[in-house]
Formats: sequence, structure tokens, C-alpha cells
Amino acid sequence: MGTGVKEPASAHRKDVIWRPITARALCSILFWLGMALCGASPLQEFSDKQATFFMGRVRYSSNDGNDCGGVGQDLMRLVSKASTLTIQEERKVGLADPDLYETPFLFMNGHNDFVLSDEEVENLRKYFSHGGFFFASGCCTNPNFPRAWRREFGRIFPNEPIQPIPYDHLIYRSFYKLDRIRSLNEPRDIQLEGLFHDGRLVAVMCEDGLCCSFSANNSCNEGRGVSPEDGQKLALNIAVYALTH
Amino acid sequence: MNTRLAFELPDVWVFGLPLALSLLLFVAWRQSRRGLVARRIALLIFLRFAAFIGLLFLLARPARFHQQALNVPSRPVLVLLDRSESMSLKESDTTRFARATEFLSRRLLPALKSANVAVHCMVFDQNVQEVTDSEIAATLPNGKRTDLGAAIAQAIGGSSQPPLAVIALTDGAANCDIENERALSVLLEAGTPFIGVGFGEDRGVQTLSLRKWSGPVSAAPRIGFSLTAELEVVNADQRTSCELLLFRDGRLLQSKTLQLEKGGATRTESFQVSEEAAGIHNYSVQLVPPNLPNLTCVNTKADTSVRISDSRDLRVLYVQGALTWEYKFINLALHKDPNVKITGLTRTSEQSVFRQNIEGTGELVNGFPTSLDQLTPFRVVVLSNLRPQDLSSPQQELLARFCSELGGGILMIGGASTFDRAWQNTRLEQLLPVLLAADSRPVRTNAFRPQLTAEALQCPIFRLTPSEDVARTWNRLPLFDQYARVGDAKLGAQVWMVRPDDDSGPGGILMASQRYGAGISAAVCLQNFWRWRLAKDTETEQFDRFWRQLFRWLGDSSRDEVSIEVADQELRPEQDVHLVVERRLSPQNSGDSPRNFIVQVRDGRNQLVQEETVELQTGHPVEFRFRAARPDLYSVTITDPAKVVVAARPVEVRDLNVELVQTARNMETLRQWASMSDGLAFKAEECPRADDLVAQIKAKVRQVQTAQQTRQVVGLQWPIFGLILGCLCAEWLLRKQWALV
Repeated sequence: MGTGVKEPASAHRKDVIWRPITARALCSILFWLGMALCGASPLQEFSDKQATFFMGRVRYSSNDGNDCGGVGQDLMRLVSKASTLTIQEERKVGLADPDLYETPFLFMNGHNDFVLSDEEVENLRKYFSHGGFFFASGCCTNPNFPRAWRREFGRIFPNEPIQPIPYDHLIYRSFYKLDRIRSLNEPRDIQLEGLFHDGRLVAVMCEDGLCCSFSANNSCNEGRGVSPEDGQKLALNIAVYALTH
Repeated sequence: MNTRLAFELPDVWVFGLPLALSLLLFVAWRQSRRGLVARRIALLIFLRFAAFIGLLFLLARPARFHQQALNVPSRPVLVLLDRSESMSLKESDTTRFARATEFLSRRLLPALKSANVAVHCMVFDQNVQEVTDSEIAATLPNGKRTDLGAAIAQAIGGSSQPPLAVIALTDGAANCDIENERALSVLLEAGTPFIGVGFGEDRGVQTLSLRKWSGPVSAAPRIGFSLTAELEVVNADQRTSCELLLFRDGRLLQSKTLQLEKGGATRTESFQVSEEAAGIHNYSVQLVPPNLPNLTCVNTKADTSVRISDSRDLRVLYVQGALTWEYKFINLALHKDPNVKITGLTRTSEQSVFRQNIEGTGELVNGFPTSLDQLTPFRVVVLSNLRPQDLSSPQQELLARFCSELGGGILMIGGASTFDRAWQNTRLEQLLPVLLAADSRPVRTNAFRPQLTAEALQCPIFRLTPSEDVARTWNRLPLFDQYARVGDAKLGAQVWMVRPDDDSGPGGILMASQRYGAGISAAVCLQNFWRWRLAKDTETEQFDRFWRQLFRWLGDSSRDEVSIEVADQELRPEQDVHLVVERRLSPQNSGDSPRNFIVQVRDGRNQLVQEETVELQTGHPVEFRFRAARPDLYSVTITDPAKVVVAARPVEVRDLNVELVQTARNMETLRQWASMSDGLAFKAEECPRADDLVAQIKAKVRQVQTAQQTRQVVGLQWPIFGLILGCLCAEWLLRKQWALV
């Protein structure tokens, strides 16, 4: 058994992006702009929010889910560029909300320490058992968030500690083939960490400011962590892995 | 013979005669005005009157009716007495049979004899036998089946002349209906009315029976499978419990105590079993009934066998136009089943496809298969979020051949983006169990919970827990609010799941399937089915089990090189069992010439019952039959010339006691027989006095024969035509001679 690997198709995509706007496309833009100004939302009415890629941005502890504000949209835009998937707006979701069980992909980032309540831990245990996936990223290589994440997520399945994800794991090959990602500021490889349940990877965390690299061109974390190019590939791999496993 | 002349249109005389007379008077008046003498006028009028009378006679359609005289003494009355086991049931301290024989000997026979009517008495179950008065008393009601139709046909066919009437004394619970059509035509041809007298109570007695026992033909090692028993309780007058024992190769494996509710119900109960190693195992179930005095327990034991084999895996090809959550959650569902492998083929952009879980680097490298060879490793193909431009016409044709010839399963799943109207009138639409709707926009509606149809409730695919009621399990699904709009189900398709009707409109089909050639196609039109697994209150094992069972079912039809199907028949001891064996088409054997295979049938003690060499060619089914001498679990095995088993299946022939499963008196059957033959149907307790009954029978016979009188048209003969023509010619000649024309 093996896994198919898709080569990046950046060359042809470039042509598509800079194609001149046609009259038809211009009309379409004006139409949607008009609809937006009028407050109507036909897209919301006719498209299916759950059939395409969408994600829940986690509100937790004192964090309202707004750290590095556009990171959620940037991740989804990244996914849509690389595939035929259509994307939806991110949704804010608390770990004790019923909506948690309607959102198969959760994203969490932050700078600071946090503590999960027992109810939140219990919810996450059930969420993971039912097939949900969690992607976390420490912002700006701040060590407080990764430390808290390891501690709190280690509580979810007492016999399943947080562990490094080796480079032979499928998540490094789910879309782009990533043999190795070097840290920009240290002589070491970037190391994803994960929580496993029943042999299945259910939560992934990167302590090296991955969200800064794929969203903000690493401007807030310049010279550290993951390069923007590697960050985009890795983030996309994580999203595709979540969609297929 | 009684013959009479009558007119079918007598009104012609009523209106025609005055009209003719008026016309003639007018003519006479006109001729007298013209100065014609009275004698000549009278002659002309007479001739015209005669012609008019002849015409009116013909217009009134005269006919001669012949009616046979009621020859009561020479034609007998046939009395059929039911001696099947259901007549042995005791109600109000006496059996139905005892009441029927008493009615016959004390009331009916004396009355018929006193009316000078000859009587032939017969007893019947699945056969019919003529008996004398003394033999009736010695008859025991122990027949295994009731076949009223066969009894009527045989009884009338065996009589030298058509009987005056057929009187049946029975509880009406006729279990066999194969001969009904023939019996009815014999009754109508003979002009014999059917008189039914029903015995027993309309409610029936308390019964508990094991109706069905089924399991998969084959299963993989270490993967659980279900063995399902179907129990039927009728008229239980109190809550009680019974025990169900499962034996594996003669040794007790599991037992269950079942609570039976008051009243009547059909209940299914499953045992979960898994086997460690390959082999064939016999599973029998034994129903241990409660110790209740008024309870009749029938059909308490049944067997089946399951072949445990890990030689073949089930591969599923999941083709989608874009990555979907559905794929992820189905993948999760199949994750724990080592014998089901899912391969993903996803379009990620205009130019690229994403392959997952492929078996070799070259597999599906160019996207969707373009030849049957490439599809052969898979048993099920799932299609989701595809547009017609994603699958060319030859590829759609390939899918049709994969399903119809290779026996593969096709599943189309998703919402509006899957069941797009662009698929209308394509080859793919022909495969599907539903028609595609002209309007395929997404349907967003009030939140609803999918509802299983009655067929699905009985189908093992939807049984997700061993003991819980199927409907209750599925009632815990989360609410959905989107589904794909599709048209009607195709003829022969099975609808499994629907959206219930509500304020937002009539329900739609959510899941359906149909046989397509040797394979099966299915459609799941519910959008975001994956939400079921992620929902907070879901037991994920149920979701996983559903998908495993569905895929195994979809792919099961193509497991063997040769298929063995049991023809549509009732399997009974001392009857031939009809099987249809067919060699399936595959790329490996498509060009092969016919090959010989050996079909062996062995009984439960492994004794050879029959062995035969059959020549099989792909696409040409061959009928094979063997005699099931006694109730047993027969195994049918087909081996190729190299002695390799290519197909096997068990065939259980049970000595089912159908007589006591439904014990209520069935007056409806008797009424139908009576109404079709212009006869009568009575409940025994409402039956009139015997001599009144005989009078009513005679009246019925007379009524039937009146309706059967023969009719012969008269008048269309040369003398009438000659008379009319002669009168008119004479009248014309006279007028010519008298210079009136």
C-alpha cells in the first residue's frame, strides 16, 4: 500500500491568478459587491456550509479566538488555492459549545498560557473519539502557549501523552512531500507534535509560529520558526490530512 | 330444456308500432286525397304494414333463450372438510374440526339428503380424499398445509359431472394459493357456486413461532457478523419471556432472554459472532418457549451456516470531485475493518488528482479507470461531487459494465453537487435507483430526522445493535436540514430512507438501491451524513457498522467467480430445490470458452445428495435442481476442474409449520371465493338452520344457472328478409301498375 503524492502546481496557478479580468467577471464582481452592500447574502442561502472546507476558530480561556486575526481565513484561502474546495468563513466556537460537534476541523492559536476546564477536556475527549481534528499553533514562537497546550491536551487521554510526529508520518506527505523543514533560527528540524487516539492522529501542534508563517508572511516572527513557503505547505498538508483521515 | 323467445329491445315495439301506424294512416289519407279507391289503398297499406312489422321485429332483436332444468337429484353437492392442523385448535372446549364434523353429520348431511340431493364428502389438507360418513369420524386433523384451491380443482376435476355446489367447512386459513387461479376457472366453467362455512374464532389462539433465521453466506475472520432470528408472537394475553439459544456446531455459544409484550408483534433478535479462523460453521438457534398453558409454540429450531474466509478483501474506490468530510468519516468507519480497504481518488484542481491508499505506484495514475482491468480490483465504486465532465461517456459505460457484468456495487452519495441535473439522460443515470430531478438546486428545509422505510427496518444492513429495535436506533440520528432533490424511485428499486413529510413539503427519497445486472447500485441523497458520527450523542460504532455493512452488501454480489442463487420458491421437504448457477464475467474470463464445473450437494451429515457436472459460460445462467428429501441444512458447492471451490452456499430446508403461525379464522378468503363464483360465505355460528341453508344453496344454484342460460339470436333468416322484401316489391309493383309512381 502507498500514498499518492501530488507535485505542487504553482507554475500554472500563477498564470491563472494574473489573467486579465473579463467583462463577465467584472459584472459578476459588481453584482456580488452590490449584494454585499445591500446586506443580502445569496451565497449563504444557496451554498452548503458543511460540504466544503470550513473551520472553527477556538475561543478558550481568556482568548477570544482573535490572535493573529486573519489567520483562519488565510488557512482556508490556502486550502482553496490548492484544491477544488470552496471555503466558508471561519466560525468562532467554544470548547463547551454544542457547535463543537458540528465542526470537524478546529484551529487554535495564541501566545499565552491557558487552562481548560474539566468540561472542555471531556468535550474534547468525545470530539476526538467521534472523528474531530484539532490544529494548534503557537504564535510568534512564544513558549507559553505550546507548554500549556502539551499540559492541557495531555489530560484528554490519560494514557496518550503528547508526542513528536516523526517525519515518516503521512501528515508530511498528505499533499506536498516534505522530507524535512529546517528552523530559521536554530540548527534543528521543525517538529510537529501530536495527540494520538486509537492509533489515529487527532490533534497537531506546532510551537514554531506556523500560523505566523503561512498567514502573516512571518512578519511578526521574522527570522524565526518556519519559512513562509514551508509554512504554507505544512499547513496545507495538515488540512488535507484532516480531510482524509 | 326450457326455451323461450324474448326481445332484447322490447321498447322498439312500444315506440315503433304507434309511429308505423301513424305513418300508414298519413299515407292512406294522402292516397285518398289523390282519388285512389279504398280497396287499393287497403292493399297498399297492408303490404307496407307487413314490411314495417318485419323491420320492427328485427330491430327489437329477438332471441331464443335456453335454460337447463334444475336437475337436483342427478348432480351431487361436494362437501370439502378441512383436516389441516389448524382445525385441531381447541376453542371453547372443543376443536374446530369437531365442530365442523358435528355440523356436517348432524345438520348439513341430513338436510341435503332430505332434499334429495346427492352428496360427495371429501377431506382435504394439501391433498383431497373422498370419504364415507364413517371415515369422517375417524379422520384426524393433522394436515401440514391447507390448500383449498387445489382441493376445489381436484374435487371438481374428479367428478363425472359438474357438482351442484361446493361446500367447504374450513377455518379459511388457506396457506397455499398456487392452485387458486386454476380452481377459480374450474368453478366458473362448471357454473358451480362456492359455499364457505367458517369455523374457529376470528382472533385465533396464542402462538409464538420462530419465523426466520439468517446470517451472511460468508464473513471475514475477526470481524463481527450478525445472525438474526425473527420471532412472531400472536395474541399474547400477558407479558412473558422466552429464551433464545445459539449453538455453534452443536455447542451452546450464547443465550438471550427476551421479554415478549402483550398482543402481537414480529420481533428480530440478533447474535453478534466473530470467528478467529477460516472454516465453515453451523449456527443453529433454539427457541425455548415460556411455560404457558394456552400458548402454542411452533417452529422452534433453525440452522444456517457461515463460511469464514479471509482470502478476499473488499476494496472500495471512492471517487470525488473535491475533498469532502464524507470521505474522511467513511474512511474512519472502515478503519477498524482490516478486510475493507478504501482507495481515494480526488480531483484537487483542473489538472490534478489526489490518490490515497493505492496498492502500487502506477495504480490510477491517470485518474479514473479507462478500462475494465483497472476497475477489477475494486468491488464497490463510490461517486461523490462529480460532474458529467469528470466522467466521460466511455467511463460511464465502464461503470455500467462493472456493475452489470462484474457484479460490482455503485454508490452515489452527497447533496445537490452530487445529484446534479446535468447527469440527466446520461449512462450513469440509467444505473441509479432513482431518476434525477429536473431541478437539482440544494434543498434546505426544516430540520428533519431521516426515516427508514418498512423494507429497511427488516434489512440487516440497518441493524446496528444486536438487541435494540432498529427504528429506535435510527431515531437517534441527528437532525439534518439539507438533501439532494431527486425524482421518483425506478421500478423495482427499493427505497430505504425518506425525509418525513412536514410543513416544508412532501418528503423526498434519501436512500435507495436497485439490482443492476449482476450488481447493485445505491444512492444516498442526504447531505453531510458525516454529522451523524461527529454528533455528541452518537455511538460511533453504529455509524461505523452501518458503513461496513453497506459496503459489504454492495460488494458481496461479486465475491465468487460463480454465483449460486436460490430461485424464488418456498423451500419444503420432499420438493425439488431450484438453483440458478451462473459464471460471472470478469476480464480474466471474458474470452473464455464454456468450462465444466462440478456441483455437489451434501446434506447436514455430509452425505452426498447429488453431484452433477455443468457447463458454464459467462452470462448464461444454468438451472440446477436437487431433491430435498427431508428437512436439513444442505450445502451446495461448486468446484472447478482443478477441484478448487469457486462458490458455496447453504440452503436450509425447514419443515415449517405454517398451519399454526396464523390461526385466526379467515372469513375474507371464503368471502372472496364466494363472491367470485356467486356463492355464499357464512360464519358457522351465524349459519342458518340446515334446511334453510339447503334452500339457500338451491336458490344460489338456480341463480347461477339463470345467469348462465344460453341465447340464440333469431330473425336474421331468409324468410324474414324475403317477407319484408316481397311486401315492399309487391307494393311498388302495384303502385307502378296503378300509375302512382
